[in-house]
Amino acid sequence: MAGVVVKGHFPRRRIVQIVVANVTRYLFRGAARNWLRNIGSTAPALSSMTLLLLLSGLVGMVGFALHNLEQAQAAQASLIHVYLRDGVPSTDVNALWDRLAKDPRVASVTYVTQAEALARAQRIPGLPQLAAASNGNPFPASLDVQVKSIDDAAAIDSLVRTDIAVDAQNPTSYDQGAYQRIQAVLFGLAVAGSAFLLLLGFVAVTVTMNSIRAAIHARRDEVTIMQLVGAPRWMVRGPFVVEGAITGALSGALAGLVTFGLAVAAMTAGAASFTQFAPGITVTVAAIASAIVFATGLGLGSGSSLISVRRHLES
Amino acid sequence: MRPILEFTAVTRAYGPRLALDDVNLVLEPGELTFLVGPSGAGKTTLLKLINREIRPTSGEIWVDGIAAHTLKASRVSQLRRHVGVVFQDFKLLPRLTAKENVALALQVGDLSISDDEASERAMDALEAVGLGERGASFPHELSGGQQQRVAVARAVVGQPRLLIADEPTGNLDLETSWQMMDLFADIATFGTAVLIATHNVEIVTRLQRRVMTLVQGRLVRDQPAGRTGRMAWLASS
Repeated sequence: MAGVVVKGHFPRRRIVQIVVANVTRYLFRGAARNWLRNIGSTAPALSSMTLLLLLSGLVGMVGFALHNLEQAQAAQASLIHVYLRDGVPSTDVNALWDRLAKDPRVASVTYVTQAEALARAQRIPGLPQLAAASNGNPFPASLDVQVKSIDDAAAIDSLVRTDIAVDAQNPTSYDQGAYQRIQAVLFGLAVAGSAFLLLLGFVAVTVTMNSIRAAIHARRDEVTIMQLVGAPRWMVRGPFVVEGAITGALSGALAGLVTFGLAVAAMTAGAASFTQFAPGITVTVAAIASAIVFATGLGLGSGSSLISVRRHLES
Repeated sequence: MRPILEFTAVTRAYGPRLALDDVNLVLEPGELTFLVGPSGAGKTTLLKLINREIRPTSGEIWVDGIAAHTLKASRVSQLRRHVGVVFQDFKLLPRLTAKENVALALQVGDLSISDDEASERAMDALEAVGLGERGASFPHELSGGQQQRVAVARAVVGQPRLLIADEPTGNLDLETSWQMMDLFADIATFGTAVLIATHNVEIVTRLQRRVMTLVQGRLVRDQPAGRTGRMAWLASS
């Protein structure tokens, strides 16, 4: 009798389901179980990584605020307030205005009345008290000159100092070298902050690598058996990488939450002066910083455990 | 028929010391072969070479058509699915039951095997080694002989073409050792080549199977089945 070939329908979806279930079990569930079982040896790595990530988050936010501060300083330095003499005729003011407006190095010229100068001063911490202490309005009217390049600020300052419309005692707000000093300080802070972050990253990676190395050492028999029964490399290495990722993700989540909480608390406590001292730091920025801290934790945890696994598992 | 295992001029050195020296051998399907020799003769090294735990210094090793001597580390797991291994110290995972230990070996080799199928096949293998009732037991709840049977079930559940055993009776009493040998003989009957490294002279002498003798890394004798008893000298006279 001739044989009959039956072409069965390959249950691909079922196969995929089984493969996914097996991968989930061997890679993720196994890693989570081992992570919980080894919580005693993982705890130091978890806590130190949380602390390091928290510091990184705070340093990062301070860095962001300093960057904004530097931007504000640059904008401020390229804006020269040309203080006008008391009782100066409007023709002299107009003549100076025209001269400045025609200068190719000048971006814009704005006339600021005494009342506007007072209103502006009242938004700056400390100055309202000064204004209140004096009789009348101590702030002069000015021409606010926005120069195109900060390098031209000195030349514009020299140009206007001797003008008849300008106050001879206190001609402009230009302070030669002030911006450069601020820049130098901020640059130093940026370098120190980056070095600090690098150091923290190195410590976090080392701590996680050691924790994974300890886990590999503790389970070396299990690893050997898995290898000997034919487990593919990803199945042997994967759970350790997932364990590192769990440590990193948890540390990142904790540090991110604390970073966010501290930033929001600081914003709430010092709402008035916060924007002056930490410009640009808002709730959204704090949330983004927390997300970056979480992602960094996840990346550092899985990356450092991958390095550790590659270094220690083959041997 | 293609041999299951073929060594051609295989040498393995540990520093200046030769653990195996110019070894040539062939194992056919269904053959049960003993590997004997004094301690340090190179038996374990030979088994490790088959399972690609180590690489040969020179020579060729073919395992069921796979070139083990040039195999990349990333592909070793593929080779190991063709080779079942039994160890003297059983090497069972202590946190898994007997059935889970056996099922694990199936699923790590083929992720498309469902839990139900793996469980069913693991139970079949455990029943075949006489442990059908102990599937739910953890290794520490089993005797040495029972643990070794679980290890055998794990080694054969994937139906490998070659089974290697390194001193499988080393931790067992004589009666249990004979039961293990019966199991190995049964396995060979169904076409799996079985290679057993052992010191147990009584078993080797009485079973009358092929015996390869290693001394100081050299394969000094290869006696075919039926010519290995006390009267083996009759064959050469």
